[in-house]
Amino acid sequence: MKLIKKGLLDTWISLPIYGLQHEGIPPGGAMDTFSLQIANALVGNDLYDKALEMHFPAGVYQFETSTLLAICGANFSACVDNVEVPMNQPIKVPAGAILSCKKPVSGQRVYIAAKPLTDEQVSRVKILPWSMNPENVFTDEPIRILCGREWDQIKACSQQLFLSKEFSISPTSNRMGYQLNQEPMKTVSSSTMLSTAVTAGTIQLLPSGQLVVLMAGHQTTGGYPRFAHVISADMPRLAQKGPGDSLRFTLTDPTLAEYEWILEQNYLQQVRNVCALKLDQHRIDHR
Amino acid sequence: MNPQIYELGDSALTIEFGNEISESLHEEVIRRFYQFQSDPLPGTLDLIPAYASLTIVFDLGKVASRFQGLAGMKSLIEEKLAESFSAVIPEGRLHEIPCIYEGPDLATVAKSCELSEMEVIQIHSKKEYHVFFLGFLPGFAYMGMTDERITVSRKDKPASIQAGDIGLAGNQTGIYPSASPGGWQIIGRTNQIPHFKPGDRVRFIPVKA
Repeated sequence: MKLIKKGLLDTWISLPIYGLQHEGIPPGGAMDTFSLQIANALVGNDLYDKALEMHFPAGVYQFETSTLLAICGANFSACVDNVEVPMNQPIKVPAGAILSCKKPVSGQRVYIAAKPLTDEQVSRVKILPWSMNPENVFTDEPIRILCGREWDQIKACSQQLFLSKEFSISPTSNRMGYQLNQEPMKTVSSSTMLSTAVTAGTIQLLPSGQLVVLMAGHQTTGGYPRFAHVISADMPRLAQKGPGDSLRFTLTDPTLAEYEWILEQNYLQQVRNVCALKLDQHRIDHR
Repeated sequence: MNPQIYELGDSALTIEFGNEISESLHEEVIRRFYQFQSDPLPGTLDLIPAYASLTIVFDLGKVASRFQGLAGMKSLIEEKLAESFSAVIPEGRLHEIPCIYEGPDLATVAKSCELSEMEVIQIHSKKEYHVFFLGFLPGFAYMGMTDERITVSRKDKPASIQAGDIGLAGNQTGIYPSASPGGWQIIGRTNQIPHFKPGDRVRFIPVKA
């Protein structure tokens, strides 16, 4: 794919890459790992392959070869040669076709998985007759959290507030972290803690009483109290929310967090298998 | 004190050996880092040492489906902590880093510590520092402990910092490996940023610009 016009923040990105956090190198990776994997599955890629993550305004790209394409995640009214194309569905596009995004409809980040079709000359845009409608990425269910090590550093009334009130995401939020618009949390003690590891989903309590949810671009360590943690399975859903969007939190337990994660992984694996089978049936080489 | 093990979200466990910055406590962190690195628990994705803790990040799918999740890993960690082990711990290297003490915050630091700029430079360059861990930015080494006469607080608001800038915060010192917003008080700069490892030692050598 050739860049025609740069977007606000376009990145070819994969799942997080672990193993170097002791060097201070964070795992990074896609914000909405779920949509990234669905896009990859639809074109017959491995789930962990790189795809193009774009924010709005998104970049404009031209395909240099005939390509199998899938668009997942945020709905930005993606168009091929100025004609809107469906999301969550494999699409064959001819060499020279241009991908652009017209307007932000829902979500924050779109994922484009692309696979060059080596033994096929595509003459016009062809939408293949199956789709994977990924459930749950845009539901308004509360974001599930686990208590953090320093959960008790805020007063019970603030804990209650946190679990009952609706929050909005502050405009200063980015891929590193989401700041929440809220009344400052009332803290019990202001004991300082030593810098220690943090993860994506860690909710930090700032000295001002404000809360920040660490996202995919987080640093490896931090020195703020770890008030709570968003469960891994809910991170893709949170990643599709952006400045001004509202959200609620609800407490869950580690067993459920693990169960939900396994459910999500199994679902993705099934989608991968079904898509591979469909591509085989349509004699599309995806190996 | 017996180490405490607690969950850091749903896919990581932190082993906390204490709650202070000390070289002996940190020695234990590093010993355990090499133990868990040379003989990793199943599903280990990352080991993150800090001042007084070691965090193990797990592949949640793997540990949840085959090892009773984090609860299972917790018992495995307890067993490992009780085991004697003989991991090879690389000896720390000594880095001598030329430092041009002309940082934008040198005057502020001197004033808040009621010292002359020259005294700040002498105190900072006299001591040999210990590299505790890397974090914050790729390659950023947390070093300490600085002499208490030059203990300064972080800036209220992060400022723009250049690669090679040398800063102070609390009783820590460090070199920014890349340009970044940061809250440390910048007292000098260097063009020499080695590849640090926890346990390394560092000495700053004052040089002229």
